[in-house]
Amino acid sequence: MSAVLLIAIPLLAAFLSILSKKLAPVLLLLVTAANIVLLFFVPSGIVVIGGFDLPYGINLFFDTYAKISLLVVNSLFLVVTLLNISEHKKMSSILLVSLAGLNGLLLTGDLFNLFVFLEVAGIAAYLITTTNKKPLSTFNYLVIGSVGSIFYLFGLMILYGMFGTLNLMDMVYAIKNSSVAYSSLLLPFFFMFVGLGVEAKLLPFNAWVKGILKHSNTLSGPMIASVYAATISFVFGRLITNLFQFEGKLLLVVTVLLIAGVVIGEAMAFASTKAREILLFSSISQACITILLFVNGIIIWAVYLVIANALSKLVLYLVVNKAAKQTESDDVEALQGLFVKNILVGIAFTVAALSVMGLPLFVGFVVKLNYLTNLALMDQFIVVALILIASIVEGIYFVRLLVKLWFKGNNEIDVKFDVSYKLVFAVVTLLIVVFGTYTKPLENFDNGIDTVQDQIEVIYNG
Amino acid sequence: MIQYAAILLMMIGLYGLLTNRNVVKIIVSLNILEIGLNIFIISIGFVYDGIAPIITSTNNSSALVFVDPLPQALVLTAIVIGVGTTALGLAIVKSIYAKYKTLEIDEVEEN
Repeated sequence: MSAVLLIAIPLLAAFLSILSKKLAPVLLLLVTAANIVLLFFVPSGIVVIGGFDLPYGINLFFDTYAKISLLVVNSLFLVVTLLNISEHKKMSSILLVSLAGLNGLLLTGDLFNLFVFLEVAGIAAYLITTTNKKPLSTFNYLVIGSVGSIFYLFGLMILYGMFGTLNLMDMVYAIKNSSVAYSSLLLPFFFMFVGLGVEAKLLPFNAWVKGILKHSNTLSGPMIASVYAATISFVFGRLITNLFQFEGKLLLVVTVLLIAGVVIGEAMAFASTKAREILLFSSISQACITILLFVNGIIIWAVYLVIANALSKLVLYLVVNKAAKQTESDDVEALQGLFVKNILVGIAFTVAALSVMGLPLFVGFVVKLNYLTNLALMDQFIVVALILIASIVEGIYFVRLLVKLWFKGNNEIDVKFDVSYKLVFAVVTLLIVVFGTYTKPLENFDNGIDTVQDQIEVIYNG
Repeated sequence: MIQYAAILLMMIGLYGLLTNRNVVKIIVSLNILEIGLNIFIISIGFVYDGIAPIITSTNNSSALVFVDPLPQALVLTAIVIGVGTTALGLAIVKSIYAKYKTLEIDEVEEN
């Protein structure tokens, strides 16, 4: 079994699905499920494609980091697809292309290939957001996303001009062993960071997010805010950890940008009165914290934060989008009393929200406690203080939202949630609580899950 | 020198993206930006006095100076992706016009 199949099968299925529209949804579900099973049979290591050895050919890199990220992304993808397939059958082929693109992003060891997968996944994302029926927002997303990709490619080409390679490992090795001053790398690194920052929703490159997530539905909301966000965070993490290795003034600029993103995101969420807006601004803030952790080398807790957020945001967006569709408004006032008749859904939403806030008993608390401890050990006290202040703001607006949704208002609202939704909510809630109270499995991994540096040692130094 | 021209084209594209409020003009600006980048990529592989990287009966010595063929291959991929994005962008422009009967962003309100 080769890791190539994780990309090739969805891509082949995407072409086949065009031939039979009736079979397309079945094919999508089968392929997504098969991908998850396949993950357990793929051996770790470098996959050379076309017989061209590294660094001449494109290669895929499958290590623990890739395995965890693929497992999370493919599982979430399957859940979102299962819940929406009956309503969005026409999107089957696009979702298959999207799956191929996302898996490619997580697997590739070639930086130009990463650009290609970024565009493949991006084009699929633009098409997924057309289901929002807000073409101008989709257009904005397409333009900003394309400019981001162009910036990434521009930065990469400057690096290629300097080091003559596109392979991630070869590039890292070449940079380490060259006499090129770090200041010469600032420009390409900055362009690549901005390019990926667009998809990762980092401030100030996230102008598209509001239009897309504000009008999202049960497919586009969880897909963009949970599946895509997790994928881009993992990709960003890989590049920050191995390639960028920010230092000096660039580290300061990036840290300030990210901290500003955390604070402004929470402030915007606090000021908002619409449920989807609150969630989207909260997503921006959480994305900035994740990247901040990667920048500081706290890899494992950044990975856990990505997973915890992806799980929580899946529930939060599904509940809000389902309710907004039936009530035709996502105004918090209009959704008042949503959980009066949906107690189980309310419990799942509350657990997910409390986990994002970082309250004890939930996985979000374990993650937050550990990353704050790590940051404090690195003497990043200002960062810790600002995250804590942002957490208080986050706590206030989430509690305010929960109070509104739990207590009956003037209008009675009755939103029906399918059994499949309730099942997903129950499983996610269980995961959040179990890993929030039983933390031993989380200790099985450490910052060594990313093995790019080890592979470089093996390849170049024997 | 050609790299300055490429960067100038990219700047023109960016300027167009930032100043135009018509969706078709925005797509055109995006294309100018992409073309600028493509020329920049090609320029990376340029070698003075280099010949085409094809081994023939006369050009078969490794001592010859060839231009770098890799950026040419990369730019082909970038062009294809650019065309795909443009096609999708124009399809979305069509649906914007169908829904709002205008191509001016300022005349469209999506709440």
